[in-house]
Amino acid sequence: MESNLLRVDLTTGEIKNEIIGHDVFERWVGGSGINNWIMWEHFLTHDINCDPRSPDNIFVFGVGPLAGSGAGSGVKGRITFKSPCYDMFGDSAGGGKFPYMIRFTGFEYIAITGRAPKPVYLHICNDEVSLRDASHLWGKDTKDTHAILQKELGDYPSKTHTLSIGQAGENQVGIAGVVSDALRIHARCGGGAVLGSKNLKAIAVQGDGGIKIKRPEGLMKWSDEFRQSLDKNEAVYGFKRRGTLGAVEMYQHIGSHFWRNGQGNMFRGDDITSDNWVKRFHKYSEVCSSDCFIACDAKYKIDGTESEASKEYIGESFRRPEYLTTGSAAGALDVRDWAEVAHWGKLTNDYGIDNQDLSCSISFLMELKQRDLISDDDVANLFGHSQSLEWGNMKDIERLVDDIVFQSNPFGKMFGDGPYKGALRYSEMMGQNFMKYAMYGKGGASFTEEMRPFPTWMNNMAVASRGADHLKGLGLIEKFQRRDLSQIYFGGPEAADLTIPDYKGASTAIIENQVALLNSYGVCMFHWMLDPAGYMPEKYYGEAYRSITGVEHDSDQLMRDGERICNLEKAFNSRVGMRREHDTICERWMWEPTDEGMYPGSVAADMFEPVLDEYYQWRGWDVKSGLQTRAKLEELDLGEVADVLEADGALARG
Amino acid sequence: MITVRTEYHSHFKEITGLPGDTFELDQPTVSELAKQLTDKYGDRMSALLIDPNTNQLNANGTMYVDSKGRRVFIEDTLEDGETIAFLVGIAGG
Amino acid sequence: MSAQPQKELVTGETWYQPGDEIPNVGMKLFALRNQCTECNVCEVACSLVHSPDGEINPQLSRVRIDHAPEKPSKVNQEGLGFVAEICHHCGNPPPCAEVCPTDAFYYDPKTLAAVIDQDNCIQCMECVPGCPFDVVFVAPSGELLKCDLCGGDPVCVKACSTRPEMLNKGKQYNRMPVLFYEEQSEFNRLSREEPVARDEVGIMQAMLEAGKISSGA
Repeated sequence: MESNLLRVDLTTGEIKNEIIGHDVFERWVGGSGINNWIMWEHFLTHDINCDPRSPDNIFVFGVGPLAGSGAGSGVKGRITFKSPCYDMFGDSAGGGKFPYMIRFTGFEYIAITGRAPKPVYLHICNDEVSLRDASHLWGKDTKDTHAILQKELGDYPSKTHTLSIGQAGENQVGIAGVVSDALRIHARCGGGAVLGSKNLKAIAVQGDGGIKIKRPEGLMKWSDEFRQSLDKNEAVYGFKRRGTLGAVEMYQHIGSHFWRNGQGNMFRGDDITSDNWVKRFHKYSEVCSSDCFIACDAKYKIDGTESEASKEYIGESFRRPEYLTTGSAAGALDVRDWAEVAHWGKLTNDYGIDNQDLSCSISFLMELKQRDLISDDDVANLFGHSQSLEWGNMKDIERLVDDIVFQSNPFGKMFGDGPYKGALRYSEMMGQNFMKYAMYGKGGASFTEEMRPFPTWMNNMAVASRGADHLKGLGLIEKFQRRDLSQIYFGGPEAADLTIPDYKGASTAIIENQVALLNSYGVCMFHWMLDPAGYMPEKYYGEAYRSITGVEHDSDQLMRDGERICNLEKAFNSRVGMRREHDTICERWMWEPTDEGMYPGSVAADMFEPVLDEYYQWRGWDVKSGLQTRAKLEELDLGEVADVLEADGALARG
Repeated sequence: MITVRTEYHSHFKEITGLPGDTFELDQPTVSELAKQLTDKYGDRMSALLIDPNTNQLNANGTMYVDSKGRRVFIEDTLEDGETIAFLVGIAGG
Repeated sequence: MSAQPQKELVTGETWYQPGDEIPNVGMKLFALRNQCTECNVCEVACSLVHSPDGEINPQLSRVRIDHAPEKPSKVNQEGLGFVAEICHHCGNPPPCAEVCPTDAFYYDPKTLAAVIDQDNCIQCMECVPGCPFDVVFVAPSGELLKCDLCGGDPVCVKACSTRPEMLNKGKQYNRMPVLFYEEQSEFNRLSREEPVARDEVGIMQAMLEAGKISSGA
């Protein structure tokens, strides 16, 4: 396996091609693993403590070897950069057609540095690469940008697919995302702000080259078996029909939602708590990621008959909301109408902004108002106009979103980096400590799901390398109480038992390695949940990976590769000064017990420290400081990383 | 003989067409409940509930919890009056 | 291949001689309009199985996903959709073969599908406009690409994310699979149950009536 890396220096306009050799795949698997390594090397010659919005930051796009290669597990591209909102390691995945099409240009990795003197977009058409004027795109949302580029560049030699930023990215809002084909957002960590700071509006690709598969027979045999095993599982049909919205009823049953800034863990309102999406908002057309055997995605169109609120949005059409779109609108903001939830999804996507941090920024202020901790005058000062801050009022919420996207008032400027930094700034301005109501985990990132009854999730939110969310260490052994998997990994049922801390940190460590692998393969996480080999991507996808790349790593080696990738992300964060005390979650999750759902009385503090200790032990890191040890890094063939950390004083002593 | 209630959500509700059922079990076991469910609702329920490779309850994409929020497995026993919820096991998104 | 073939037509064990009556293809591929998810799995799989050196490239695929604008309906409110453009194996002989100046088409003995003999093809591209369904494609190299039914087990049907195996379990999904490999009669039966499918049959019917394709045996 070999691949091409396109290096673009926007300051000088220099564009060059580099080969990523087979040895790099042997070590870093592909996708996010290779992205991480490109970024790590960049920050050996550039200041890692730079302002993430400065030209010194790097923006890497990459797509793993299983994406679009007949493995049938979807296509996920990955962007990697230093996060402007959390000032640490940042990356984010996104699907759709862009990462699929880019494989046919021959360039699977793009590294962007510097800053263009004026807005430009990058056009890649097979091996012809150019930077073009984007003044006609500046100020446009992602939908228009995509439409203009598609029209401008046409259908030859292939359809045009784009990655673009909306107004949020242009205004360098810290929580801005990057949107693939105007439909799917790489939301987390603020990649949009990095592109905005570089004056890069979009990347457009067209290609008619091919992908070479090392052992096509092996791959075809594997994908036949994969497909057949999926077809035997009726749950796959349910997933096809509902997508991630299938989680709504389950979360409601066990109490795993995030309601009104985390004050509850169940949705309110009959419509929103049930499967009504499927009944009332039929999907009419599907807009799937490429190369996916399941195809769960769908489009909706509002005709005004669905509900009273839907009359506002007649004719609006977009992708069906995913669970976290619902979790942020119906949950954090208590919006109780599906049409409004759907509109929230479209709104955040068009502007190109992360709905997790956005909703928690807004819900933070709503809770302060609900508790009468701020007066109407305070609100008027913050917004420059009166603002109701009423739960679930979509019209008001839209104005608040505009404030942040366009940075038009003190509120927008204060909360552009999400609820943690926003709450700190607001507390300082008001001379009062409001941090109790800010909902965040590692890095100040927020996430709209309950985690107090679930020790592995809680631990994951505290240690995730890119900031709190579920996509670094999806704690499914424990959330789904998989005794069978606990038995396989730990020789006993303890990891599946929610009431004890045993093996919870260990589960995080193992699942982080697996997720790192999946992200490096370039496939979707959902096949993992539905796949017959039960949550073991190192075993299951192993054969597909070997057939496609010719990297002959068995499942043990692949797990070590995953661990190596996680360790590099950790090393990045150690270099920017993160230690054990940064591996934490917010006060409410830590100290306030849940009072509803299936597990009332849960509080994270009960198990937080022992689980964190165990996580470091399983990682082979120093428990006291949380730093990596030379022994562990050398075991993973990362001696040179240990040297860098030692020089920075970021390696554990002894 | 014990009586057990069931609650169906999402895809389970679609297959059964009901929010829930009551079953009388000769054996107080999950396997007996699973057998009655597949007898009553046929192939689709069987394909959703049972993993053909292991004959265990299907673990991928499904979740079954008792009234205390504990997942049940095929080898577990049930108490009289227990309620089991049948859920779709998907997280995140 | 013409109606009265001038030369040996088929490689393999069974050879049709000039003057032989060639039976029509028994099993056919059908693609339903606007039921496609544009997941591209068929393009990926098709190009892979037809590639001599394990290359995946949608531009080498014999099935292509295309936009299929439709009249807006209750089911499809935006009037947008996608369709898998695939050879219908429409006649005996098919129009693509009839216009071929070098008689480069032959029947696969197993499936009776008309396929292109690349050695005899001069890449004149007459067959591209000759096809009434626009499903003879041109590779970037100039090679003409036409569906060969994969020897009787079409990979696009197997891999389709709305594959029949996945959806035959019940009609509760209120939709049909996109790609079928069926006998015409079976397909007609299915299409009666699902109105969307009639589009395709309707087109075929219209083509027959206009004399653009022949019905075969």
